[in-house]
Amino acid sequence: MPPLELLLQQTLNGVMLGVMYALIAVGFTLFFGVLDVIHFSHGDIFMLGAFVGLSTLLGLAVVGLRTPLLALPPAFAVAVLVTGLVGVGAERVCVKPLARSSPLMTLLATLSLGLVLRESVLIFYPRGADPKPFPQLLPAGGFEVGGVAVRYENLTILAIGFAAMIGVDLVIRRTRMGAAIRAVAQDPEAAQMMGVNLDRTVDATFFLGSGLAAVAGMLSGFYYGEIHFIMGITGGVIGFSAAAIGGLGNVYGAIVGGLLFGVLQTTAAALIPRGSEFRDVVAFAVVMLFLIFKPSGILGEKSVERV
Amino acid sequence: MLLVWLAEAVVFALIVAGILAERPLALAAAGVAIVVAGALLRFVAPLRSALVCAFALHPTAALLGGAALALVLPLALRSSPYWTFVATLALLYVTIGQGLNLQIGTAGVINLAGAAFAGLGGYSVGLLTVGAGWPSWLAVAAAPWVAVAVGALLFVPILKTRGHYLALVTIAFVFIFNILMNNLEFTGGPQGIKNIPTLRLGGYAFTARPTLGVVELPAHANFYYAALATAFLATGILRRLHDSWLGLALNTLRDDEIAARCCGVSIAREKLIAFSIGNFFIGLGGALYAVMVGFVSPPDFDFGYSLIMLSVIIIGGVDSIGGVVLGACLLVPLPERFRFLHEYRLLLYGLVIVVMLLFRPRGLWPAGIRRYR
Repeated sequence: MPPLELLLQQTLNGVMLGVMYALIAVGFTLFFGVLDVIHFSHGDIFMLGAFVGLSTLLGLAVVGLRTPLLALPPAFAVAVLVTGLVGVGAERVCVKPLARSSPLMTLLATLSLGLVLRESVLIFYPRGADPKPFPQLLPAGGFEVGGVAVRYENLTILAIGFAAMIGVDLVIRRTRMGAAIRAVAQDPEAAQMMGVNLDRTVDATFFLGSGLAAVAGMLSGFYYGEIHFIMGITGGVIGFSAAAIGGLGNVYGAIVGGLLFGVLQTTAAALIPRGSEFRDVVAFAVVMLFLIFKPSGILGEKSVERV
Repeated sequence: MLLVWLAEAVVFALIVAGILAERPLALAAAGVAIVVAGALLRFVAPLRSALVCAFALHPTAALLGGAALALVLPLALRSSPYWTFVATLALLYVTIGQGLNLQIGTAGVINLAGAAFAGLGGYSVGLLTVGAGWPSWLAVAAAPWVAVAVGALLFVPILKTRGHYLALVTIAFVFIFNILMNNLEFTGGPQGIKNIPTLRLGGYAFTARPTLGVVELPAHANFYYAALATAFLATGILRRLHDSWLGLALNTLRDDEIAARCCGVSIAREKLIAFSIGNFFIGLGGALYAVMVGFVSPPDFDFGYSLIMLSVIIIGGVDSIGGVVLGACLLVPLPERFRFLHEYRLLLYGLVIVVMLLFRPRGLWPAGIRRYR
């Protein structure tokens, strides 16, 4: 039995990773809610968010804004805005036109779009093939509680992540647009008859989801200290897994799923030999097993088929 | 009948010209010729209807002509071992695509783990020959069964989950496969397995350069003919399966599981049969790939290749046997032809797929409606 501190420490690290996964997963689940599609390029949108954030931070540093308090808010704002718009563009070009056809089509189309985004960053970003160091703007240092090391940097990541989630929750539950998103998720036709503008709602959903992915991308940059153009592949698959564990279409499910996946990864890394290499094997195997016993996730709607 | 053969000869000449043209001028001429031919076909209605009519009237002649041209292709490409290799690769993708099409197209079992099953075939060949000292042909014969056996691990999720959740299960499977291959010792880790002995049948090594009379072909032509025979067999078998009761049952359960069950189709049985047969052919493609290139490593079988396999069957036409052949023969060589675009190649590949899906969602060769006689 490993010591309790180790488990606690790994749980804390897992929650940290889980916050990022959850932010990606919320996007997957929101898109699935309104259009019933899986937007596979979402992982690359997440990567794009990190690159936009990095460029903004570098640009701000050139202007002279280097203090975290001054540089971070505009960087997050620009990343969310630009990535959100790219997300809306992706939806207009290749998700919504294919939403009515078979899921295979959207699957391939969005996978290919992800390839296009990835290759674009590789080609058009200066020296895009190399990992890019991410400026460390979050407060350094930390303290220890009962054998568990807590770093301020990680606390900040947690705080930003949870703030973003609470923000989305407020948007979805308290605003008119949020009500429209929920209505469309329940029944697009009925929502339209009640005066909901379907196209605008879908656009807003993709803006919201992609913006969250941008936040996740920047947090991941701060956490790992570097970003790379292929980070969207694993990021996307993990985000999708998290959304599926939680139940596609359910925002809280996606958050729970993301946190679960993160904790699963870090505890697997701690408990099994050579864990850091095999942690994803364990995590994905658990996801597969999980879907066998609960084929529509923790909080997913039970799908009742009618003839 | 003559018209059919003439048309096929023209297409063949255009393809060879397009492949072999090296200098910019020749390349431009070949490109223009292909565009003109396409435009003629698209805009001159009498020509098109005459061709369609001729092909519909003489299917056997068309098939024979195509087979003959496929047999002489290595002769036309003999100056370039590289293109013989690419043509072989396209034929392997025909085999793989037919297997995958039975799963995804006919049965509706979304399998994004094609790369993993091809990898299982390839790695089995590597382990059996280099590790256990089996002769190559025996390993190639055994490897597809490994893919089928390991595919049985996915039986339960396939029956339990559907749609997007099933897609996720198979994606997770590719990632697990790749991480394991990258980190396990007995599979050679990131280096993979090297020095896989080449295929040897009755004392004839496949690395020898075959000579036909006075012409000497590149060594890859051996594999070209092996892959051609395999692709031909796979296409034939899967066409028969598609037209059989199994194919009909699979189509029914793909379109509506409840209705299929009401008609007495055993969902579990048919799905698992389709999945296993599909994995067999995917594994076979991977096994032949391994003996052809002589080594296997994790990046040869990563998720990106699943994407290529999926695009082969979707761009060709879902559930369309001819479409798979067309898709593989277009999507595998085309990126190679555009190698001069260097880094823009994959970007364009992705764009082309997206544009094709938007404007030709049913594929280049859509599946016909079943005819009952």
